[in-house]
Amino acid sequence: MSGPSTDIAVIGWAQTPMVRHTDKSETQLLMEAITDAIDPLGLTRADIDFTCLGSCDYITGQAFSFVSNLDAIGAWPPKRDSHVEMDGAWALYEAWLRLQEGDIEIAVVTGSGRSSTGEPALIYPMEMDPYFLAPLGADPLTFAALQARAVIAAGIADERSMAEVAVRARGKGDVESLLAEEFVRLPLRRHDVPPITDGAAAMVLATGDRARQLVKRPAYITGFDHRTECHNPSFRALDDSPSTRIAAEAAGLGDAPVEVAELQAAFTHEELLLRRVLGLGDDVAVNRSGGALRHNPIMATGLCRVGYAADHIFGGGRRALAHSTSGPCLQQNLVCILEGRS
Amino acid sequence: MTRFIESTITFPYKRSLGPVVGAFMTALTEKKILGIRCRDAVLVPPMEWDPATGAELPHEFVEVGPAGTVESWTWVPAPSEQHPLDHPFAFALVLLDGATTPLLHAVDAGTPSAMSEGMRVAPRWRGSRVGRIDDIICFVPGDMAETEGEDTGGAGEPVTRMDYLASITYRNPVPEAADRATEASREHRLLGLRCPTCGRVYAGGRGLCPVDAIELGPDCEVDLPHTGTITNFAIVTPVQYPGQTETEPFVRAFVLLDGTDVIIPYSAVIELPADRVKVGIRVDAVWASPAEETEEGGGMGGSWGSLLGWIPNGEPDLDDPDLVNRIF
Repeated sequence: MSGPSTDIAVIGWAQTPMVRHTDKSETQLLMEAITDAIDPLGLTRADIDFTCLGSCDYITGQAFSFVSNLDAIGAWPPKRDSHVEMDGAWALYEAWLRLQEGDIEIAVVTGSGRSSTGEPALIYPMEMDPYFLAPLGADPLTFAALQARAVIAAGIADERSMAEVAVRARGKGDVESLLAEEFVRLPLRRHDVPPITDGAAAMVLATGDRARQLVKRPAYITGFDHRTECHNPSFRALDDSPSTRIAAEAAGLGDAPVEVAELQAAFTHEELLLRRVLGLGDDVAVNRSGGALRHNPIMATGLCRVGYAADHIFGGGRRALAHSTSGPCLQQNLVCILEGRS
Repeated sequence: MTRFIESTITFPYKRSLGPVVGAFMTALTEKKILGIRCRDAVLVPPMEWDPATGAELPHEFVEVGPAGTVESWTWVPAPSEQHPLDHPFAFALVLLDGATTPLLHAVDAGTPSAMSEGMRVAPRWRGSRVGRIDDIICFVPGDMAETEGEDTGGAGEPVTRMDYLASITYRNPVPEAADRATEASREHRLLGLRCPTCGRVYAGGRGLCPVDAIELGPDCEVDLPHTGTITNFAIVTPVQYPGQTETEPFVRAFVLLDGTDVIIPYSAVIELPADRVKVGIRVDAVWASPAEETEEGGGMGGSWGSLLGWIPNGEPDLDDPDLVNRIF
């Protein structure tokens, strides 16, 4: 699939401080992130033609929680708006589709989550298959551990290479001492597991000439695709991620080399598996931001990946890949290719 | 310091099972485990559709197990309240004899050193089974299935529904504006916040202007009048869901405060029966007396604090056809 005929580009983004526990409400986080994303571009909320917000009622603890989040976008006079119960990266996908209609120029997408509101270890099992998995309290750590075991058995990772990923992502610790720690879910240790993070991110998209008026070097979205697999990990090959591979092919990853890749790998083995599936060599800088192992604001983690990939383009880079994922064991995967032009 | 409030939400789900999952759950009550044939494969747990193509599968069930082989496993050193066992255990992918896909379940092995890929395991059945996946308490090492407690036998009829109680506890920050509004209500003041940009006034401790997307601090506070007009209403016939304390039909009215654009929504009314409520009735605020003060506040809930609701004040009704449109 090639990109749309209209140029659509990321022209800016912002994120709130990423913290273990915030005193702010999700709406307050979004107000801050949106203002910080549009202000430097000289835009106001009145300039935004379309918004799409990504958040999760289960995390917020409130049905229709996205309705109160609308207070952050200034939806008066009424705006075109949508919501996805998914990471903000999927909100970005919807906005990218919406802009292709050609009648509007500027969209803002967000991802937001206050994971500290609840207890993620107890909430996520309730989102699993309601008949066979949720009643067992089948939790994300357990699924990740089973996938890690499969990835290790396939020779794609080992405990040492996983610890190396953790040290690089967090910029601290040393492999030997990490490997001396206890398992939290064999073969996963504390360092293989993401932190719990509160935070939000907002991103601004613009079409063609409008994008070029607003910034010197827009990050053009040249390929964008997402695919999903069967919901129950029992039916999947856990040492592979065919949905990532198909999405990357459809997004045109193979057309030209990328310099950087931002992968939503919350667990260390996921980064090693995704590198393998995407065919990323040592010449590609993977997760220079520290990735989801450093900050994991659920519902915004994927959108932040796109943001960091866009930063590479803003800074003069030519081509970057951003990846987002959803569901247990990399069930659903999204790949976005960003390019700069001379 | 921001104040936090803890609340627990429970969802007592009743899930219908359908023809395939229902057959599986019914068989569990008879201590049998069913898979479903999918081309050359036998899927366990059974699915209604081919996971690869989405094609509907014929209901060709195959009894598998009950023993099987551990394909992969992980160790849970500190179980949660949701886990099947209250002591350390393994979660394992168990390939039941005759199946081609593994079932995730717990294995009560004592220590991780007792676990290995390829080990044989068999179910520990619950004595009293209802047709849920946890009719199998867990698997145990070896080829011999066991039953815990007195065996009360199969369901006798098809199981079509499954109960699942989801319960989550949340801790949320209370906006300072909400606390200030509640405190003001103790002095029988109805506090509003005026947006410095657009001039709109909001009641109820909202703390921000949704039009201009800015926060409204204490410097934006204004006192609102205590009289208004009912613009619209609903008569709620209570359904006895868990937590509902009302038993008779009751009124929730929208009140437009005099001289403002402020609507107090979903208001309780006092001395105004459901069969007499109408648009245009003039009302006064009713505040809790010191004796009526409670932690939870008055009849309005939330940051309305000591405001109990609204009572007809005897003034002539307003006859304005536009009133009914004012609910925001």
